[in-house]
Amino acid sequence: MTPRKCQPGCLLLLCWCLCATSLAGVASAQGLDPQKLLQSDPTDTWPTYNGDYSGRRFSPLTQIELSNVHALSLAWMFRVRIGGGAMRGVGEPDIKSTPLMVNGILYFTIPDHVFALDARTGLELWHYDWVDSGGHLIGNRGVGMKGNWLYFLAPDGWFISLDAQTGKERWRKKIADEKMQYFTTGAPMVVGNHVIVGVGGDAIDLPGYLEAHDPETGELQWRWNSEPRKGEPGSETWPNETAMVHGGGMTWLPGTYDKDLNLLYWGTGNANPVMAGQGRNGADLWTCSIVAINADTGKLAWYFQGSPHDTHDWDNTETPVLFDAEIDGKPRKLLAQASRNGYFFVLDRTNGASIVSKPFVPLNWSKGIDAKGQPIPDKQREPTIDGNLLTINGGGGTNWMPPSYSPQTGLFYVNAVLGYSLTYLTDTSEHPEGYGGSIRNLWSQHVLEALDHKTGEVKWSHPYSNADAGGGGGSPGVLTTAGGLLFSGDPVGNLIAFNAANGEILWHFPMLRALGNGPETYLLDDRQYVIAGGGDTLYAFTLVH
Amino acid sequence: MGPARENRNTPQAVLRTRRNYRRRRCCLALTLFLIIPCIARSQEPQASPSNPPPQQEDSRAIRTREFLGLGRIPDAKMAAEGSKIFASTCGFCHGADARGASGPDLLRSPVILDDNQGELVGATVRNGRPAKGMPAFPSLTEEQLRDIAEYLHLQVELSANRGTYKPLNVVTGDAKAGEAYFNGPGQCNTCHSVTGDLAHISSKISPPELQQTFLYPVAPQRSAPGVTVIFADGRKITGTLKHLDDFYVSLDDAAGDYHSIPLQKGIQVQVEDKLLFHRQMLDKYTNRQMHDLTAYLVTLK
Repeated sequence: MTPRKCQPGCLLLLCWCLCATSLAGVASAQGLDPQKLLQSDPTDTWPTYNGDYSGRRFSPLTQIELSNVHALSLAWMFRVRIGGGAMRGVGEPDIKSTPLMVNGILYFTIPDHVFALDARTGLELWHYDWVDSGGHLIGNRGVGMKGNWLYFLAPDGWFISLDAQTGKERWRKKIADEKMQYFTTGAPMVVGNHVIVGVGGDAIDLPGYLEAHDPETGELQWRWNSEPRKGEPGSETWPNETAMVHGGGMTWLPGTYDKDLNLLYWGTGNANPVMAGQGRNGADLWTCSIVAINADTGKLAWYFQGSPHDTHDWDNTETPVLFDAEIDGKPRKLLAQASRNGYFFVLDRTNGASIVSKPFVPLNWSKGIDAKGQPIPDKQREPTIDGNLLTINGGGGTNWMPPSYSPQTGLFYVNAVLGYSLTYLTDTSEHPEGYGGSIRNLWSQHVLEALDHKTGEVKWSHPYSNADAGGGGGSPGVLTTAGGLLFSGDPVGNLIAFNAANGEILWHFPMLRALGNGPETYLLDDRQYVIAGGGDTLYAFTLVH
Repeated sequence: MGPARENRNTPQAVLRTRRNYRRRRCCLALTLFLIIPCIARSQEPQASPSNPPPQQEDSRAIRTREFLGLGRIPDAKMAAEGSKIFASTCGFCHGADARGASGPDLLRSPVILDDNQGELVGATVRNGRPAKGMPAFPSLTEEQLRDIAEYLHLQVELSANRGTYKPLNVVTGDAKAGEAYFNGPGQCNTCHSVTGDLAHISSKISPPELQQTFLYPVAPQRSAPGVTVIFADGRKITGTLKHLDDFYVSLDDAAGDYHSIPLQKGIQVQVEDKLLFHRQMLDKYTNRQMHDLTAYLVTLK
């Protein structure tokens, strides 16, 4: 007997059933649809370290925009609490990861720890706590995700898969030996049927590498070595095999990916020994380079070396940002990077051909650029026993902190550091080891710069008015949106919204500690959120309704 | 040399805050050569309870070791013993510094890096590695094997722990030329006197500290800058700067009263930069001038 008309009670029941069904649907669909990874700038999720494969950190969202950003307000805060408080060798926890946001849940990390939070309330759902046996706790950039599985790198070289619903460990694989002074801080990057992981380490002279692992089993699929092997092309840039196989070139920051070309773009770190270059005369390929690597085979397609024969610890790992734009009236597939060595590079990402190589901070370590657009290091500016005075900050013109490219303005945004430093050679032997030198910072200042991708010209810049940066520590990352906004932060803890077109300040929020990661944004329940990490606390902002 | 050089001088905040201080650039802070407590010179790293406590070690070395996760501090006394045994027993193949000769470099060897208290090193030395051509040394005592291991751990420490590194020699310049520069193009004598504020300076701080300090003193050596806030109506407050960002300035005035002022339109903030001249000189020094000046200042004992 079916009633022709639903009674009120029946309606309620129907509603309840529908709700229950949809709730059940949410619960069972917390995983990340791999298709989301192939979208450019998705808005209802932040599924990778950079938000999408391009590394632009540009969101098409416009709910928060120039005219209403003044009403942006705190929605919730989450403070990391871990046993013991301070972390070995680094002090208070610092959130350097960019959280993933998938189906209303945020996944983020600090070294040794993974957290899952309710993105609506900031309430903790689970916390995975790893006990390390070494490795640096300098930072962790976050997790990668495929389906219902998360991928995490513990500092001591363990590659770990977790169940995203529970935080329970599925498996772990050793990818690097912390006793050899490797350490692992990157966010694993899921590309098709691969999880890409890189390594760090330069206290002992080690070879760098990049690996692809099977997302289901964790087994190694391919390994690309940062140095050629004996007799291979590139080996002529090393004086001998011993120097080459101990040559460094770490791969510690997540790269980017072009699905049409099926190429991964990765930055490699400094050569080893770090500052004493006398035992490795030559360009030292493929250290301090941008490399394009086939995602399925791990084979090198092309390279561009940002710092040939680096002797300043200037890892070239900064995000290679991908975008398409016109150059001289022709559409081009581009790659741009603001390198730690102070140069802004724009390349054709199909073949690595140089379009722009131009300093974005003053520098005196280079004598100009060669025919390939690569800087020519000045031998006279290598570290010396008695100190060499450089007109660039000792940590470089920028560092790992993610930059942003806005297709709306055509500008590339980077938090730069101006400064001066002294570099000393402390190991004068023919075969130096380790760092072999040291750096003393002198004056420095943080400046947000907007660079024209066609010329490298500084279109606008905002020097933070705080007094001397005191050695030029890290600057935060940058986010731009189609709302005309740029989010970043100053060295004393203000999260700031700028007009991306001209650098005008429109809004700020004083966090307890300085922004330490790249801000992100997404839509949840039709509300646009901005998420930022300041020290040990994650902050969520949305518009007041 | 890049296009961004102008950024250093044209940013609005810097202009706004520092424009009025160009004429005062010779007014150098007397605090410039304030003496910071000398960081204890690195002793030989120590470990056992009978040795001096770690506080006496260079704190930078300790912090860096902890950061790197290099494990315990090698015992210097044992290492010194081990060094002699190593030189006579192992040095021929591995080099006196253990960095390799006909035999492998041991500073990068997993046998050393995975070893904790000599358990791996001792067994390897005692038994040798016949397959790789390394002879056995069965006559060495347990204690001698421990000492060798400790020597190797110390060699790793001195190479891998960059916190132990020290500038080797910054006094390479010509003191006479440095004196001429001090009183000539460097204009140092405009504000400083070698018989006044700089008298005996090199008996107070080490040559590397002296070099870094005259270039640009590290933050703890600088006094809090003075600041003047000028309101739209022309009213002024002057005092000692407590905080400045893009949104607020705060200061203590002469009476000790604290003021916190939102930076609205029309408000000007002028921060006294006593070190502006030193900063400008960083663009001008050649390495030779810097080293000559260092050599001269080092003579002020």
